[in-house]
Amino acid sequence: MVAEAKEQQPPAARPQIKVEKAVKSFSGRVVVDIDELVLGDQPIEGLIGPNGAGKTTLMRMIMHSTPLDQGTVTLYPSGINGEGIVLSALPTHRMARHGVVKSNQVIMDFDKLTILDSLLLAVAQHKYEQPQRIFDEKRVYDESAARIHEYLEFFAFGDPTQFAGSAGEKKLLDIVRCLLLEPRFLLLDEPTAGLPEELTEKVMQLIRDLAATGTAVVIVEHDLSVIWNLSNEVHFMAEGNVVMRGSPQEIRKNKTVIEKYLGEGHV
Amino acid sequence: MNLDWLDAFLISGLFSVVIIIGLGLLLHLQLGLARIANFGVVGFFGIGMYAFGVMFVKVDWPFSEVWAFFISLAFGTLVAGLSGLLVGWLIADLDEDGVLVGTLGFATAVLILATTEQDLTGGALGLGGLKFPYDIGSVKANEFLWLIIVTTVVALILLYVGRVHRSPYGRLLIAVGANEPLARSLGKPAFRTKLWLFAVGSAGMGLLGALFGVMVRFLDISNLGIDVTLAAMVALVLGGTARVWGAVIGGFLTIGLFEIVVQSYIPFPQGWYGQAIPVVRQMVFGATLIVVLLFRPLGILGDMRRDKLMRSMHGG
Repeated sequence: MVAEAKEQQPPAARPQIKVEKAVKSFSGRVVVDIDELVLGDQPIEGLIGPNGAGKTTLMRMIMHSTPLDQGTVTLYPSGINGEGIVLSALPTHRMARHGVVKSNQVIMDFDKLTILDSLLLAVAQHKYEQPQRIFDEKRVYDESAARIHEYLEFFAFGDPTQFAGSAGEKKLLDIVRCLLLEPRFLLLDEPTAGLPEELTEKVMQLIRDLAATGTAVVIVEHDLSVIWNLSNEVHFMAEGNVVMRGSPQEIRKNKTVIEKYLGEGHV
Repeated sequence: MNLDWLDAFLISGLFSVVIIIGLGLLLHLQLGLARIANFGVVGFFGIGMYAFGVMFVKVDWPFSEVWAFFISLAFGTLVAGLSGLLVGWLIADLDEDGVLVGTLGFATAVLILATTEQDLTGGALGLGGLKFPYDIGSVKANEFLWLIIVTTVVALILLYVGRVHRSPYGRLLIAVGANEPLARSLGKPAFRTKLWLFAVGSAGMGLLGALFGVMVRFLDISNLGIDVTLAAMVALVLGGTARVWGAVIGGFLTIGLFEIVVQSYIPFPQGWYGQAIPVVRQMVFGATLIVVLLFRPLGILGDMRRDKLMRSMHGG
């Protein structure tokens, strides 16, 4: 019944995030200084720029895992004209509840937790994770086992009751955890770094599918073929600010971008 | 009931073992899973003991003693839980050094309060008047029954800890301990999780403190020394910090060996018991801790085995 009702609903408008007057500096050096930036106009947006341009810091500021020196980040769950939620006033752990989820650039994992543990952790609702709820493992597993195993098979993971071994496996695990949270606004920080080509393809396919269902995706990536392939729009960041935005075709031909980032001879 | 076969020393020795195992099990949730090194165990233990004792002895209860006993017991547990909530709130965002100092400081504050608030606690003179909520005959029989009751309570704690390992809550604790920023990014409220962990753990420690107070029947500030914390910690670390049975095995190997085997069955000169043995015990425990941490830092049982556990619960 519930599933039917869900299917009948028209796809909700894509959420957007607005960054206003956001400043962050580390030991006196300004890393991000953005007057106004709206993310989520297009289903998939790329964020590129040279090292130190502030891409990762910007994403961390949106998640509020790096506090802002100044400014605000606001989420508009049903588009920029709807009501806004000030993300920069919320603690990091509240982001997931609003559908804002970020994958990690560096490999992050829970040592001591198996692959299955890690995924069950992502799907477990808060009500099951209370000190007095000590008989709910089966319920959590039964609720989500199908979804979890779908991803495990898609990426051809080995035995999920084992620990994630390779760096690639941990990277994938990070992405799958994010997807299991059912993001409405997904930030991906170099999701395919270090992955073999075949898996990069699979990740890209998942991102496309997700964006088609109304999730906004913002992706930072140094492998530019991923950016040109996936993005509907590209933001070019330099020295802490988005200096240019446009279609992938426009950006990759732009003189400034070539000079500052891509280098001559890049096609 | 004929209890001639039972040595009074054995009862009190086993009782110490059981209490330390209980404290070690609760500490395991904090240290082994969430990786919060609580060095204030005796503080929560002491708060529970004194809150219970003062309530039971000093209040003029209008109804029967058994009721007064259980209300006071609940009160002691509650007060310890609330103090855990407070301490948890203070230390949840601190790093390891901060947690060490904060919890140690709390235990010291409890000791000083118990010493100076003479009107309530009797201070250094102690507080008498505690008794068992039943009387089945001889002192030995009463103590033996209490040992069985407290052992049952600790067995329930063991059962709870085992269930926590097999529940989403345990997974959350491990995740928060292993990588707090990552847990937070997955929507897990790390701060609140630690707060409740401390509240529940401290309430349990307070309950054990009250149960201990009943057994000794005379509350004395010498029960609030750091040696209680140290004993629970050494037992847990020796047995295996991350394992359910760690505190149980460690408890028998430390307190069990020392209180029962060494004190009862090895003929030391009589003069040693008052002064020398407690000091030697501290030294042996300290040395054990160092040796274990050097050669087998995860204890006798080793690290937790989530892979085995997951296979047994969800494996094909």
